[in-house]
Amino acid sequence: MSEIKLLSSDQCTIVVLKEVAERSILIKNMLEDVGEVTEAIPIPNVNESVLKKVIEWCEHHKGDPPAAADDDSDSRKKSTDIDEWDQKFMQVDQEMLFEIILAANYLDIKPLLDVGCKTVANMIKGKSPEEIRKTFNIQNDFTPEEEEQIRRENEWAEE
Amino acid sequence: MDLGPPVMVRKQRSISQLKDSHKPILPAEILSSILEYLPVADLIRFARVSRRMQEMVYDDTRWVFRLRLMGVWNEAEARKRFEEAMKRRRATMAAKVAEETKKAVEMGVIPLAAVVGPGGAAANRTSTLFDACEEENRAKLQREADRRRAQARPLSDGFDMMSITPLTAELPRASIRDPASLLKVLPSVKSVRGFARQEYGRVYGALAPLYFDLAKAKTHTDPVVFRIFRDPEQQAQVLAQLRVFARSDTAYGWGERLERLNLMTGIFENAALREFEGGYESGDIDGRMKRYAHVLILLNGGAACIQLFVQKHPVMFEREKLGNPMDSFDTPTADSFTLDPSSEFFNQLSAVLNEQATVIDRVFPADVNVMLPFLERVAEDVVGEYITPILDEAHARNMEMYLKAVAGIYSQCMAFAGTLKPTKGSREVFESDVLDVMNRVFEPHVDLYLQDELEYFRKKSQEEVDKWERKILDADAATESFYMSNINREADKRDFLSTFKKVILMPVSVIPLPFANRNSVIIEAKSIEQSPYSNSDRLSVQGPESVPGTPGPEGRKSPMPPPTTELAAKAAIMNTRLEGIRSLFSLEVALSLVHNAKESLERAALFARSGGQTGEEAKEQCEAIFIALLQVLGPRHVKTGFDKAVEHLSAYNPRAATSHNHVAPLVTFLELVNVGDLIQQMIDVFYETELVAPKLTDRNDFLNPAAKEKKRFEQMLDERVAAGLNMGIDVLMNEVDHIFATTQLGTDFNPGVLGEVGGVGDFDIGPTDTARQVVDVVGGHTRLLVGSTDKNVLDVFNQEVGVRLFASLCKHIKRQRISVDGAIKLISDMNHYHSYIQSIKIKSLDPYFNALRELAQIYLIDPSHARQMATVIADPSRFGGIFRVEEVYEYATRREDWYRVKREVERAMYGIGCVVC
Repeated sequence: MSEIKLLSSDQCTIVVLKEVAERSILIKNMLEDVGEVTEAIPIPNVNESVLKKVIEWCEHHKGDPPAAADDDSDSRKKSTDIDEWDQKFMQVDQEMLFEIILAANYLDIKPLLDVGCKTVANMIKGKSPEEIRKTFNIQNDFTPEEEEQIRRENEWAEE
Repeated sequence: MDLGPPVMVRKQRSISQLKDSHKPILPAEILSSILEYLPVADLIRFARVSRRMQEMVYDDTRWVFRLRLMGVWNEAEARKRFEEAMKRRRATMAAKVAEETKKAVEMGVIPLAAVVGPGGAAANRTSTLFDACEEENRAKLQREADRRRAQARPLSDGFDMMSITPLTAELPRASIRDPASLLKVLPSVKSVRGFARQEYGRVYGALAPLYFDLAKAKTHTDPVVFRIFRDPEQQAQVLAQLRVFARSDTAYGWGERLERLNLMTGIFENAALREFEGGYESGDIDGRMKRYAHVLILLNGGAACIQLFVQKHPVMFEREKLGNPMDSFDTPTADSFTLDPSSEFFNQLSAVLNEQATVIDRVFPADVNVMLPFLERVAEDVVGEYITPILDEAHARNMEMYLKAVAGIYSQCMAFAGTLKPTKGSREVFESDVLDVMNRVFEPHVDLYLQDELEYFRKKSQEEVDKWERKILDADAATESFYMSNINREADKRDFLSTFKKVILMPVSVIPLPFANRNSVIIEAKSIEQSPYSNSDRLSVQGPESVPGTPGPEGRKSPMPPPTTELAAKAAIMNTRLEGIRSLFSLEVALSLVHNAKESLERAALFARSGGQTGEEAKEQCEAIFIALLQVLGPRHVKTGFDKAVEHLSAYNPRAATSHNHVAPLVTFLELVNVGDLIQQMIDVFYETELVAPKLTDRNDFLNPAAKEKKRFEQMLDERVAAGLNMGIDVLMNEVDHIFATTQLGTDFNPGVLGEVGGVGDFDIGPTDTARQVVDVVGGHTRLLVGSTDKNVLDVFNQEVGVRLFASLCKHIKRQRISVDGAIKLISDMNHYHSYIQSIKIKSLDPYFNALRELAQIYLIDPSHARQMATVIADPSRFGGIFRVEEVYEYATRREDWYRVKREVERAMYGIGCVVC
């Protein structure tokens, strides 16, 4: 099994099995296009610590069967479970979690992205709007009256 | 090499933001997919975070998706509403524009923004395509009404202990407060674009509290559902709605919640089932049974209750009461098989089922099809269990018995299916449903049966032919020739064929129909057993005289022995006529083969009617039976006969034969051609009526194996006939030559040779015996062929005979010595031949025999007129170009006085004698 080199945004070279790296559809497609590569592949948006974390995930999941075709996701309910290893893997600070999600999105690793989103969803469960704003670094552009109006509009959803 | 992967623009922006704030910001698409995993409550809270988040949460597709998960979103309805709204909007727009222009005219130009102003706010918030204002207003009106209703109700109604949702004026329409409205919340969902969130909100507000409560419940007494609703019908209805609602729960942990819900539903279902069962056992059809059937159907379609209902019926356990499969055997005598017990069985079962149908009508509502599952079960457990031992036993005992049993029971089954009454809940196509069920029962047997049917037929046919061959061998293959009178074969054959056709077309019921007419059934069943031509009784009743327009052969006049059928009688008549070919092949054997095939086909065709794959297989098998028939009849039976006949023909030696009236093998052979033709026509009729008419095979499909085999059979027959005729001509001509050589006396054409000038026969101007014999032999044989072969074949045959006869005659004349007196004889002989040839109407033969007639004239010329003789000889046109001058000269040398006139003639012809003159 051949190995390839990845170059993180902070200029660190990481050697990884081709099979592992190909969990990323972005890298897989690129390798298919250019063939044999000896130089390190630059991954400009991901720094070393995040890249290592992502590779760790890819290594653990290298044997997974390919994801089912996307088109039926509309009609079928998604599984919301997170397996145990992934749960542990995601026990990182919020900044790292977001970085992993961004990296997964960029590198096109759908299962990792899903796990990340599920983790975030669990994280913000039960939080107040203000807490959510803080979590996601979002500016509040509502007046208190407007916010109250939305709350009243959706009173049915309150537990 | 630049390996930098493409970087999306949006990504770059978020990265730059990240650098600014030192905190990663997730792009909108990721936030959106995070939202998918959020429970509804958190989702709504998310909407309060910021305008963009609100937009994202409020996005209609998100809510349509949830409605769709519950199966209550109707895209067609949504589209219709949307289009209607668009129409209305266009109308109001047009009105507005008209008003505006009016205003503008009245008060001068006004700023456009002022007009748009009031509607702008609403349009901004939701999709501008939709007339949001109007729907909002309608919703508001409804809410108003609801609130009024809610306020009017005294709060001491007994449900205030469950104040899960806060009491607000804006509370959505259905809630725990109003249990009755809860029951109908799902069916009342409207598919309106842009309002999916509100619609979902209505459902959620009503069902979510119950749902989450249920999911948390520890025991089945805990859940609020069972406390609000006391009525089992209502409980079932709500549970059914909750099951649907659960499908829209996509948040973390939905799996466990669903499990919990299913558990509770299961407990409820079991309780209801117990009630139903209790009702069943106490026979409380219209009370508890009906009520709990309704409850269970409301809950989940009632599958469990139908299953219970089906399983509990006593017919499943007391099958023995309806009849023992073994009753069909050994009664009335050992080793016999009768269908009566099974018909009794089906009768009883039919009564039981029809009784059950009325119960079903009383217990179950009309929109549930209970009869079908019940029937399926009965078919499998009762009918299947009943017929399998019968068929197995019959198979083990006797093949013929088995075949009859399969077909008989199958048709009983079909008749049984016809007696069942549909219930209210049955589908329109109840009958075909029932037939399907019955066919399924037979499915495991059909393959084996069809295979056995073919095997059996093949074996039986082979046996028949073998038996016959042995018999012939025993009886010594010496052929006996006898005179064939000039009977009108054509008419006889037509007669025979019409009888055959009638027999074939007769609706033979090989299988009795127990439900139709029991009396006739028994008679028919007996008649099957007793005679090879199964419908003897019917036919003899019909009587031989009923065949119109056929000349009655002598056999018909005499009273027939009772058991013989008309067909059998005809076959016998034909057989006596055709005795001469008995040793070659037998029409009777062919008939009984065809009859066996018909029996097999009729049985197999029963299954072909059932359609589907089984039907296809049955059809193929029918074709296979037909092919087997042709193969046995063709190569095995007819071909060997023809080959033998041809062999006899070629071995024929005229000198060895004693009788010279007829060439025995040729007569035999020509008869054979007749019978072969008959068989071919029989096969044709059989093919048309048995295979084509019931649509068992497609006549126009030239690749069809049955059609191909039939062609091959016909071709084989034609080939044999052609080969035989070829041989036959040789033999016939040998005979003619033989007659010439043995019977023509030297004095016939030269009466003076013995010195008896002016003898007795002088003035007899008729043809000689030889000529008469020859014409009789040739004419007799050719006439045999008339009507039995194709006209073209016959013409070719006759022409060949004529040409060969001509050649023989020429040879014959050259062997004779002819005097002037004898010439008269010769001329009358030639006239005799000529008139015969004219009678067979072959134009191309006429010149030959005209020439012969002319030729005979040269013998009549008196020796003193040598000069005239020479002109006759030298005139080729006289003979129509048939003879050349040299040939005529050669014939002239056969004159008795040739040496005397030779000089004169030659001088006249060649001018040799002129010098002397």
